[in-house]
Amino acid sequence: MGFMSRFAANKGALVGLVLLIALLAFAVLGPWLYPTSPWRMVARPFTAPFVTDRFLLGTDTLGRDVAAGLVHGTRISILIGFVSTLVALLIGVPLGALAGYFGGWIDDALMRITEFFQTIPSFALAIVLVAVLQPSIYSIVLAIGIVSWPPVARLVRGEVLSLRTREYVQAAITVGQSTLRIIFSQVLPNTVAPIIVMASLMVASAILLESSLSFLGLGDPNLMTWGYMVGAGRTRLMDAWWISFFPGVAIFLTVLALNLVGEGLNDALNPRLSRGRE
Amino acid sequence: MGDTGTFLMQLWKKTASLALALALLGSASALAQTPKKGGVAQVIVTPEPPMLMQGLNQTGPTNMIAGNIYESMLRFDDKLQPMPSLAKSWKVSEDSKVFTFTLQDEVKWHDGKPFSADDVVFTLDKFLREVHPRWRPIVNNQVEKIEKTDDKTVVITMKQPFGPLLFAMEVASAPIIPKHLYEGTDYKNNPNNNTPIGTGPFKFKEWKKGSYIQLVRNPDYYLKDKPALDEVYYPFIPDAAARAVAYETGKVDVLTGGAVDIFDVPRLAKLPNTCMTTKGWEMFAPHAWITPNVRNGILGSKEFRQAMMYAIDRDFGKDVVWNGFGKIPTGPISSKTKFYSDNVKKYSYDPKKAKELVKASGYKGETIKFLGLPYGETWTRWAEAIKQNFADVGINMEIVTTDVPGWVQKTSNWDFDLTFNFLYQLGDPAIGVSRSYVSGNIAKGNPFGNVGGYSNPEADKLFADAAVAPTPEKRQELYTKVQQVLAEDLPVLWLLELEYPTIYRCNIKNLVTTGIGVNDGFRDAWKE
Amino acid sequence: MGMARFLASRLLKGVVVLFAIAVLNFFLIRAAPGDPAAVMAGEAGAADAQFLQQLREQFGLDRSIPYQLGVYLKGYATLDLGYSYRQQRSVAAVVGERLPATLLLTGAAFIISLALGSLLGILAAARAGRWSDSLITTAALVFYATPLFWIALMSQIVFALKLGWVPNVGYETIGAHYTGLARALDIASHLVLPALTLGLFFTALYARMMRASMLEIAGADFIKTARAKGLRPSVITRRHIARNAILPIVTLAGLQAGQLVGGAVLTETVFAWPGIGRLMFEALVQRDYAVLLGVFFVCSAMVVLFNIVTDLVYRVADPRIEAA
Repeated sequence: MGFMSRFAANKGALVGLVLLIALLAFAVLGPWLYPTSPWRMVARPFTAPFVTDRFLLGTDTLGRDVAAGLVHGTRISILIGFVSTLVALLIGVPLGALAGYFGGWIDDALMRITEFFQTIPSFALAIVLVAVLQPSIYSIVLAIGIVSWPPVARLVRGEVLSLRTREYVQAAITVGQSTLRIIFSQVLPNTVAPIIVMASLMVASAILLESSLSFLGLGDPNLMTWGYMVGAGRTRLMDAWWISFFPGVAIFLTVLALNLVGEGLNDALNPRLSRGRE
Repeated sequence: MGDTGTFLMQLWKKTASLALALALLGSASALAQTPKKGGVAQVIVTPEPPMLMQGLNQTGPTNMIAGNIYESMLRFDDKLQPMPSLAKSWKVSEDSKVFTFTLQDEVKWHDGKPFSADDVVFTLDKFLREVHPRWRPIVNNQVEKIEKTDDKTVVITMKQPFGPLLFAMEVASAPIIPKHLYEGTDYKNNPNNNTPIGTGPFKFKEWKKGSYIQLVRNPDYYLKDKPALDEVYYPFIPDAAARAVAYETGKVDVLTGGAVDIFDVPRLAKLPNTCMTTKGWEMFAPHAWITPNVRNGILGSKEFRQAMMYAIDRDFGKDVVWNGFGKIPTGPISSKTKFYSDNVKKYSYDPKKAKELVKASGYKGETIKFLGLPYGETWTRWAEAIKQNFADVGINMEIVTTDVPGWVQKTSNWDFDLTFNFLYQLGDPAIGVSRSYVSGNIAKGNPFGNVGGYSNPEADKLFADAAVAPTPEKRQELYTKVQQVLAEDLPVLWLLELEYPTIYRCNIKNLVTTGIGVNDGFRDAWKE
Repeated sequence: MGMARFLASRLLKGVVVLFAIAVLNFFLIRAAPGDPAAVMAGEAGAADAQFLQQLREQFGLDRSIPYQLGVYLKGYATLDLGYSYRQQRSVAAVVGERLPATLLLTGAAFIISLALGSLLGILAAARAGRWSDSLITTAALVFYATPLFWIALMSQIVFALKLGWVPNVGYETIGAHYTGLARALDIASHLVLPALTLGLFFTALYARMMRASMLEIAGADFIKTARAKGLRPSVITRRHIARNAILPIVTLAGLQAGQLVGGAVLTETVFAWPGIGRLMFEALVQRDYAVLLGVFFVCSAMVVLFNIVTDLVYRVADPRIEAA
């Protein structure tokens, strides 16, 4: 079975993919759907959802359109998810590759650093980092990236360690290719599959992490995110449920979609595992 | 946005008048009844205070709890008239220079030792002079001497007439602490700080950190029939939404000001057996404003500051952001404080005028950074609303958030363009108002000084003269003048006289009877 | 490598990591704007230069950074976690008072997530590729994918307010002064909501890992051998696959111990649970350096210990050794 057909065989993964594409569409089309700022106070506060056509999902405590916030939030939340994952990959992949490729004391030292970051409770570290750097989209992305790279490094190291002994890598070493070139051209491309699987899940965790930071008052005050909306509406769960419910659903669907796609990729990219299904 | 405001205002007025009627009914019937002995009250105070030794710490939560453990010379009613506390009676000399306090008989400290004039002199002359940031300038600049004439009499003599001294006798400003436990010790590291000993109606029993503080009835209180309650617990719940649920499930009896999200107040106030009052804050009269850093470019321009004032929809702030609580101020002095005058230049919401003034000021679209106040969601919503108001008239504003230490650091080092602030007025402009405007108070390191850097010799002189003017009439004249000067110059943009609703079970009677409300309220409170 | 030598080397490595964490934290927290004196000033709503100076002297913040670092490290070397001037008590006492609550919460959550997660993982793996597999994984994801604080508040409204089954916040009924069994039951009833909220969050993670681990082991040679021997599939699943699949989960859960403590920050905040997660956040916004560093140290030490223990368990009961 090829990759595509294996992926398509997993119904959950397909549902996830459709959801994800829809979300990305929202993110891209957001400014066109809702050209004005989502922070604008446009109507009576606490307008219930599905009552007027103009404000389909109701308005919040200050009379801001929940739907506009949701759509603009899609962009920022997904952006934070992807960029912070990218940051984590930029740290984790090279560290893991170096550790796995060279082994010895380099491996030892790099793995100590990884262990170091895995020992500190990651959410606590993220909180401290954002507090130190002051809340802004940059500090949030950086903090999430810094606390999420260790698993990447471990994964890459493991993969590289096993790839290193393969014939084609040994051959490359024998013909005298430079170490960097071997790592980039022979080793890393073969680790892409598991990295992609892991990254899809990391995007999901990053979105959740941002919402938690936002809840603790450590969000970027100038950007509308889902986490901000859920946090700001939480005291009105009893009588204005829609303010935090819709962004909550958005987070749920996104995380779900990314997980399903990740699961599907995992099964599709690891044919070894699907043998268990005979 | 205008119709939004009106709608909410009407809604609010209805709720408010109903609540007011209920509160009046409640207090009228309470007076008629005799207090019942016994009972327990669970009171939400937030956040958990750092300590309960009120002489060393005057944070809001500390005052709310410790005000029932410690006492001061005077209490104040909701009109800010002084009432006896540790001082049975007092006399002010004609020229407002000599204050004589006669102490209650038979007052004992919680450890059984007798209380006397020595404790008062030690507290005011030694202890608080060294550690209390508000008492220190008064005692150093105004007081000539503090002495006891006998065991029950203390005389404070001033260098010049100083009427506001009485207001400094409130419990958070001058709590009387036991000389026998503190004299000659390292005050800040005294082991008794963890087990506070006062003279008040309640004794400290236990503090389970992260969970609750327990106070128990002082059986030897000098007023024989007080207090009525056996125990008062202060549970600590960090999340506002969870605090509201705790009240609804019956776990707690009192939600003090600021304990729940202001948006949640009308819903909670409608619950059965629930009363609400905004009284009990008259002494503090918290005054909220935006401080522009006048050293920074365009913010030094009076036109621009006036433009900002016209641009801000302060009614929206009051009616929507603060859910109808509070009053729009006219100047630096709260309408609840002495010597208030509304005979000043007024600013209404006028975006058109704001745009003209923005243009006239020479503003070129530079981004202005607004340092938010990390005291909960309401302040964040307010900053968001003001950002939109500014955007409407072409002012670019960016919100910067930080936590409490970050805010203090940035504010006291003048590292901001605009920032929120709110300060207590403490009864008299000489104590709580002038500190934010006089040029003598421009100094790094104090977030509650004149951090914006406004400097006007005329205002300086008016404030200085008004503080020590011999008669109330003369003081009023000078304070009216200074309010006019400041309303024209706008050293800060006054936004709201804040009001904090206290929500409580109606069967708790006489809870809020003074100008500091729950802070010293459990002396007289009783449970039906 | 003998067990004693392995243990010694792991402990040594643990100490090195803890030392590095202690130093990093020291600088990290001092890089944050403001200090404890600023916080006290901010809270008091009143301050002057003398007030701040007094506080800084009291807190020892007027000394040089190397000096402060020296005092701090010297203390830690002798397991003295320092003194909280804000609370006027030793950090050991402050943290020690809060630690049991966190251990109780995270312990309960750990058991819930591990038990439920493994069960769901086994069920999903047995149905791999079918719709019921997706359904199980998706159901487990509900609690993972919804913000924890939202679930926490929702559960308070539903189970404490509307249904009245359990209390919504706190560690025990304040003012009741229960003792013995009554107190234990009282604490247990307060534990239900926070433990479930935190536990269900991690359930999805373990369910996923368990599923993957099951599938991987199912493809391993020794299972093929077992099948070839003609063992019944249910016996193979139960005795061979599940038993071996759970070991890596336990190890991974060991690595996740730190995450659990991190998750406790939110859970303890929303449920007013008097543990060290909340203490950590409070100490951060109060810039109570000594307490913050103490909490970080205790958490990290727990994670290191936990990892060593799981490593030991793993070495003692390596599935492959047993399979051979």
